[in-house]
Amino acid sequence: MGISRPSLGLYLTATYPSIRHFIEVLNGVRGLVDFLEIGIPTGNPKYDGPVIRVTHHGAELKGLEAVKVVDDYGRYSRVPVLMGYVADYVDSLNETASVARSVNAVSILFPDLIFDYPELIDRYVEVMVSNGLRPSFFISSKTPYKLVKRLSEYNPLFIYLGLYAATGIKLPIYVEQNVTTIRGIIGDTFLVVGFAVNNPDMVKSLIKAGADGVVVGTAFIQRMSNLESALSLLKWLRGGLP
Amino acid sequence: MTNVPTHWYNIAVDLPKPLPPPMDPYEGESRITLLNRIMPSELLHQEFTALQYVPIPEEVRDIYARLGRPTPLRRARGLERLIGNGVKIYYKFEGALPGGSHKLNTAVPQVYYAFRDGAKEVATETGAGQWGLAVSIAAALIGVKATVFMTKSSFMSKRQRVLFMRTYGATVYPSPSEVTKYGIEALKANPNHPGSLGLAISEAIDYTLQGEGRRYIPGSVLEFVLMHQTVIGQEAIEQIPEEPDLVVGCVGGGSNFAGLTYPFIGAKLRGEGFEGTRFLAVESKAAPKLTQGRYEYDFPDSGGLLPMIRMLTLGHNYVPPPSHAAGLRYHGAAPSLSLLVREGIVEARAYTQEEALEAGVMFARSEGIVPAPESSHAIRAVIDEARRMPKGSVILFNLSGHGLLDPDAYERVS
Ligand SMILES: Cc1ncc(COP(=O)(O)O)c(C=O)c1O
Repeated sequence: MGISRPSLGLYLTATYPSIRHFIEVLNGVRGLVDFLEIGIPTGNPKYDGPVIRVTHHGAELKGLEAVKVVDDYGRYSRVPVLMGYVADYVDSLNETASVARSVNAVSILFPDLIFDYPELIDRYVEVMVSNGLRPSFFISSKTPYKLVKRLSEYNPLFIYLGLYAATGIKLPIYVEQNVTTIRGIIGDTFLVVGFAVNNPDMVKSLIKAGADGVVVGTAFIQRMSNLESALSLLKWLRGGLP
Repeated sequence: MTNVPTHWYNIAVDLPKPLPPPMDPYEGESRITLLNRIMPSELLHQEFTALQYVPIPEEVRDIYARLGRPTPLRRARGLERLIGNGVKIYYKFEGALPGGSHKLNTAVPQVYYAFRDGAKEVATETGAGQWGLAVSIAAALIGVKATVFMTKSSFMSKRQRVLFMRTYGATVYPSPSEVTKYGIEALKANPNHPGSLGLAISEAIDYTLQGEGRRYIPGSVLEFVLMHQTVIGQEAIEQIPEEPDLVVGCVGGGSNFAGLTYPFIGAKLRGEGFEGTRFLAVESKAAPKLTQGRYEYDFPDSGGLLPMIRMLTLGHNYVPPPSHAAGLRYHGAAPSLSLLVREGIVEARAYTQEEALEAGVMFARSEGIVPAPESSHAIRAVIDEARRMPKGSVILFNLSGHGLLDPDAYERVS
């Protein structure tokens, strides 16, 4: 099973700002996004920008307990993926994968895996596959070509390219050029891009540059106190999909 | 004939492991956001580019050529004779550039990109003054104003470089200065504050934020700085008539070392040559991050205004003992160099100031060029290694600068 092309994804941190609000948002976004990334709240969201860091610290529950408040994420999206920092789960990869499985997630994305635990990549893939999940990988624009190629050969659900240095912070970077370069290495592996996406023109040009899916996080979270306005952001962004 | 390279080389995409991204600390405002307000935009793109080769703008290539690129690659026959065991020694002479060091290779594009952003002025810090001087020259040629915060102890002892910078039209403040809040605070705490590079960086950034049309530009450590320096190694590969067994450079933040070695190391990592070549990074015992530092996220500046980067570091509050090789008195090494040292692809060694300056004198008397005290560290390693290598071995090193403004450094050893 894969993700439809092109598609729009949404990032949310589980149980932020509260369990009730989190579930309300999940209900609201049904049908508006093609895939979901559910962040596992952590005490050390090192590669996240200020807005998403606040969600980790402000989530009502911490760790996998937060994820378990929903027993089937498949109700809200065809392709739900968990996202966490592998630093928290180095010694419990299997348990983490079985929790993911139990809530009907299809993969776990660890943004720190290739940077901080490159020696763990093979084990991660094994654990995903043996638990009936697909691997997925986070890379930065400067990831070595050989490694990018190798990751694409694990048959991942997707490769996620972080467009900027941290979530939510736009910098003057030729992101389209970076997307096109990575696309040239990974063949037809599904390429997700994200970080600081906040308007349909950006969605459009990223897809045109070679992305298959675009994720919104910070911009949505900033509007979350007013669900209507947050949902209308998603509709507006969808307008950028061809 | 060797031409001025058309591209800069980005080693990140050939490394055996990915470079960890920069990161914001948990306290205070986002440093990554601040980059947007202070740095030329093209440099931020280059810091995060996925390209293996980044095109050098024609205007920049033009200035490179006018300033004397390609720089000479020479055989050190006098030094070879002195060592006397048939080892061949080549050096790339970056001191041939008008500023007397490799720093112009990145000052020119950085000032150019600031100008292209509409900046009227660039601000920076400098220790002994090599970087400040390079920025002053580049700013004069490109037509923007340069403002340099120079550590006060150097401002007093390196008068010639201050005058040199002013000759090119730069404004030079001793740091701590009266023009920024960081300087004023430091002076209040200690009216005789000698200054530090970290404080000078904070002053330059604060000064940049105070006025319209200003950009801050850094002299080392950031990956785009190292990338700009790769013109050195690309030229050297074309110029050197035989494959070196050993390539050597000194390390402050890592830019001249990377500039010479990365094109060679990249080829080796891709399996395109130089399989048997060793690479040796030489630091000062006054700031031994490569041999004694920890590999962790740390600030590149002691003020903690810039985002944290993962590197071999002695800690951003580390205060090195005084050293004539001021350019090596830096607490950390660029992320890519740190990674290469940890992976065993680059070897590292530290020398004392005396060991280095002695070698500098040997070089001056055998080759006729007084090396910069920083470069003398590389020369010390070249001599020690050459003595152990078999006849016919080939060494290449980076003579990152001349020492015409540093004869005081050699006073005690000559
Ligand atoms: C002549 C010379 N060599 C070397 C250095 C060290 O810096 P880096 O390691 O960035 O080349 C400096 C720094 O000021 C310098 O002036």
